[in-house]
Amino acid sequence: MNINATLLAQAIVMIVFVAICWRYIYPPILAVMQEREKKISDGLEAAKKADDSLEEAQLAFNQELDKAKAEAAELIDKANQRSSQIVGDAKSKAQDEAEKILAAAAKTIENETNKAKEELKSKMSEIIIDTTQKILDQEISSEKHDELLKKAAAEL
Amino acid sequence: MAKDVMTTESYISHHLTNLTCGKTPEGWTCDPYKVEQMGFWAFHVDSLFWSIFLGALFIVIFKTAMPKNISASSPPTGMQNFIEMCIEFVEDNVQSLFGSVKNTLIAPLALTVFVWILLMNLMDLVPVDFLPVLAGHIAYAVAGSGADGSGVAWITSPDSFYFKVVPTTDPNITLGMAFAVFILTIYYSITVKGFKNFIAELTLHPFGKWLMPVNFILEMVNFIAKPISLGLRLFGNLYAGEMIFILIALMLFFSSIPVGMLGFGLHLIWALFHILIVALQAFIFMALTIAYLAMAHETEEH
Repeated sequence: MNINATLLAQAIVMIVFVAICWRYIYPPILAVMQEREKKISDGLEAAKKADDSLEEAQLAFNQELDKAKAEAAELIDKANQRSSQIVGDAKSKAQDEAEKILAAAAKTIENETNKAKEELKSKMSEIIIDTTQKILDQEISSEKHDELLKKAAAEL
Repeated sequence: MAKDVMTTESYISHHLTNLTCGKTPEGWTCDPYKVEQMGFWAFHVDSLFWSIFLGALFIVIFKTAMPKNISASSPPTGMQNFIEMCIEFVEDNVQSLFGSVKNTLIAPLALTVFVWILLMNLMDLVPVDFLPVLAGHIAYAVAGSGADGSGVAWITSPDSFYFKVVPTTDPNITLGMAFAVFILTIYYSITVKGFKNFIAELTLHPFGKWLMPVNFILEMVNFIAKPISLGLRLFGNLYAGEMIFILIALMLFFSSIPVGMLGFGLHLIWALFHILIVALQAFIFMALTIAYLAMAHETEEH
């Protein structure tokens, strides 16, 4: 219980321990804690940033989607129009072709008819002359009645 | 003292006597009967041993529990959490008492003081007889004086070897720490305020410069009282606690069985209550250390 040199020794020991703690123990621990604190706050900030950019991306995505939908609708419209146009064109072309074919056929028929008529006309006059010759028994010469015959042929 | 039959008195005095080594006219010795001859230059080897051992324990725990490389990527676990909790506790206290003044020594000082004193106080919770008796028997076995005169002459029995376990029940230890704080206070008072301001603070209050001697005496009392009260507060609380442990222990040895049984219960209750004192006194010493150093940094005159 006496006060003695223990007091001085303890004071020196304490200064030594405090110096060790000050120099070697405290700063590394504090550095670790501060570094982790910084890391966590950085992480939180990054997470917030990521959240924001995600929202932005979602917005952009929705916009793109809307745009794409509108484009697709437009394309379908155009395609419909085009197809109906093609069908219409084809129809009118086919009609034209059909008309042309009909017209050509009609013309051919007319030509054939006219030809047949001409043939018939020339054949008819011969037959009439033959018949008339047989009836009149050669009394009427062809020279004499040439004028008459021509007249008859023209009338036919 | 405790040579033959153990009495109440010898039991108590045995627990309150330090293992003291010092220089006598015949040379260095730890003989308890020659303490008077040692004078001032004697050392309480047991107190210093436990003090240094526990201080080293603090350093080792706080050094090894932290990860070697400063990569804060892994989450802290176990002991590291505890250490970081201690650091944050100390940082908070320093922050609240010290405010904006930047001094990197204060927080490590406060941490060392807190953990070290806490460890030293905790030695009080080791059963009072356990370590002293163990140390006595070891000392007697290793260096006891036999009938043939070998060994150390004064260790005549295990009881003649004193060994006090709780360093903070030794006023030398507590006052020694208070003294170290006092030196730091003076150092920072002079370096922060300047020598002139420091002297002015001691001599120009509270009565102005015409009553300088009176001022000086009053301020000096105030100035000296701080470290002494700091040391004695810790010593007194722990000494009283230790004393009560010893007295309760006496109930077990020197009384009838029912009183002894009562002693068991009291021991438990007092130990539980003492945990509070152990932590509280460590905290108070730390808080006052910070406060005194904060005062040393205050440049403003009040």
